[in-house]
Amino acid sequence: MATGAGAYPEPVIPWLSKSRLRLVAVLVLLAAFYSASWHLAKVDPAKLLSGLPRMASWTGKAWPPAMDELPVLLQRTGETIAMAAIGTTAAALLALPLSVLAARNVTPSMAVYYPARWFLNALRGVDSFVFALLFVAAVGLGPFAGVLGIALHTWGSTAKLWAEAIENIPLGPLEGAAVTGASRLKVLAFALLPDVAPSMVSVGLFWWEFNVRASTVLGVVGAGGIGQELKNSMDLLLFPRLLTILVLILVTVTVIDQTSAWLRRRLE
Amino acid sequence: MAAAQTRIAATAVTDGAVISATGLTKRYPPDVTALAGVSLTVRPGEFVAVLGPSGAGKTTLFRCLTGLTPPDDGSVSIDGREIRRRHVFRGTRGDVALIFQQFNLIRRLTAIENVLVGRLARVATWRVLVRRFARADRQLALRCLDTVGLLDRAYTRADQLSGGQQQRVAIARALAQDATVILADEPVASLDPESAATVLECLRAAVAAGVAVVASLHQVEFARVYADRIVALRAGRIVEDAPAAQIDERTLELIYSKNGGAQA
Repeated sequence: MATGAGAYPEPVIPWLSKSRLRLVAVLVLLAAFYSASWHLAKVDPAKLLSGLPRMASWTGKAWPPAMDELPVLLQRTGETIAMAAIGTTAAALLALPLSVLAARNVTPSMAVYYPARWFLNALRGVDSFVFALLFVAAVGLGPFAGVLGIALHTWGSTAKLWAEAIENIPLGPLEGAAVTGASRLKVLAFALLPDVAPSMVSVGLFWWEFNVRASTVLGVVGAGGIGQELKNSMDLLLFPRLLTILVLILVTVTVIDQTSAWLRRRLE
Repeated sequence: MAAAQTRIAATAVTDGAVISATGLTKRYPPDVTALAGVSLTVRPGEFVAVLGPSGAGKTTLFRCLTGLTPPDDGSVSIDGREIRRRHVFRGTRGDVALIFQQFNLIRRLTAIENVLVGRLARVATWRVLVRRFARADRQLALRCLDTVGLLDRAYTRADQLSGGQQQRVAIARALAQDATVILADEPVASLDPESAATVLECLRAAVAAGVAVVASLHQVEFARVYADRIVALRAGRIVEDAPAAQIDERTLELIYSKNGGAQA
């Protein structure tokens, strides 16, 4: 086959072609976008350089970490995990019926499907941090506001992911069960649930893990947990205490992440 | 089977066809006529094989019989009741069981749980929700599995069974459902010949229990051995409707020739 070059015709692209112009236009737009973002975000490397020594001196002052308040901090950490657990579980219970309504293939009607989707998108669009802020005003300071914030945001997120899991299952087995004349509820409970249960549990575990991480900052808005202690220590510049708290958060999040990942692997 | 006996008694009273389809016509615009006036009656305890080359209208006929596709013209009634358009969850009826080419079992449930799906319509909702069936239902499910020769696989997950075994579980589910009619669209098309023969024997067992079976088949030999009657479709019309024993080379030529030759 090694005959002379040029035996096969190839498309010739002119130097000034439509596709080249489009590429240049895209590059110019991207450059404009990033330069605008750079200014809007007030990025200033000089400030970082001058601030670094201050951070370093804080780190020096933070050692050794303060251990005298460890029991209180541990209790606060427990509060954070509990907030995530209750919030996620409440969200899961609420998400179960809604995910069925919001799944295109099993929804009773499109007149239910669309409102369900809008509702879920609205819940998902508001961060649990923002919800918690609102609930602190409504139910007062403390972890309960955090639980409510987590529950609402997670409700929307979990139901949306579950609805997508339901939409991805093959319809054949459902059809096979439905044509026996069984009611929708029975078919969903008996034929659909076993199929989607593993991915549902996996999604639920992911959100629990995510919410433990998220609820470490919920305390900043007064919604309880270890985050509250974090903010207090920062405000009072108690660096040794701050270090203890950061280590606690890191250990907790890592342990929860690993446990959740292990559980999810077991589900495969 | 006690259930089967009561069924025979019930159908004997109606004294006649359990399926009757008249003048079924289905067009797919612009210019495809899938069915052109197909009429068909099936009696209880009869095994009807539907033969025909690809595109002859077999699948459309099944979709009309099950109500999954409404015909443009004509009507279908089963047990004297007219079939209307069926949504996955709407207007389903317990007396018709469907067997699919892809089995459609619930993969993560055991064989016996899949057979119990056939009882769902008659079981209290709380029992379904807590997955706790009455002893009588469990015993019936085991008996149905015994009928299709899978008693020893009752507690095996469906996705651990071979294709032929899964199809037999589907037949056991139809038996547990107490269906008077089993409609099977290509029930053995994705099985090896040996499994296919076993599946068809199980369908014969259902026929022996008084069920009417309509199955579309690709293999003429299977139709001759297992069916009582052969209905041949060609270009949306019935070109032959005769006892299986009367099918000979001439009729096969009538069905398959001029249409790309004989198909296996």
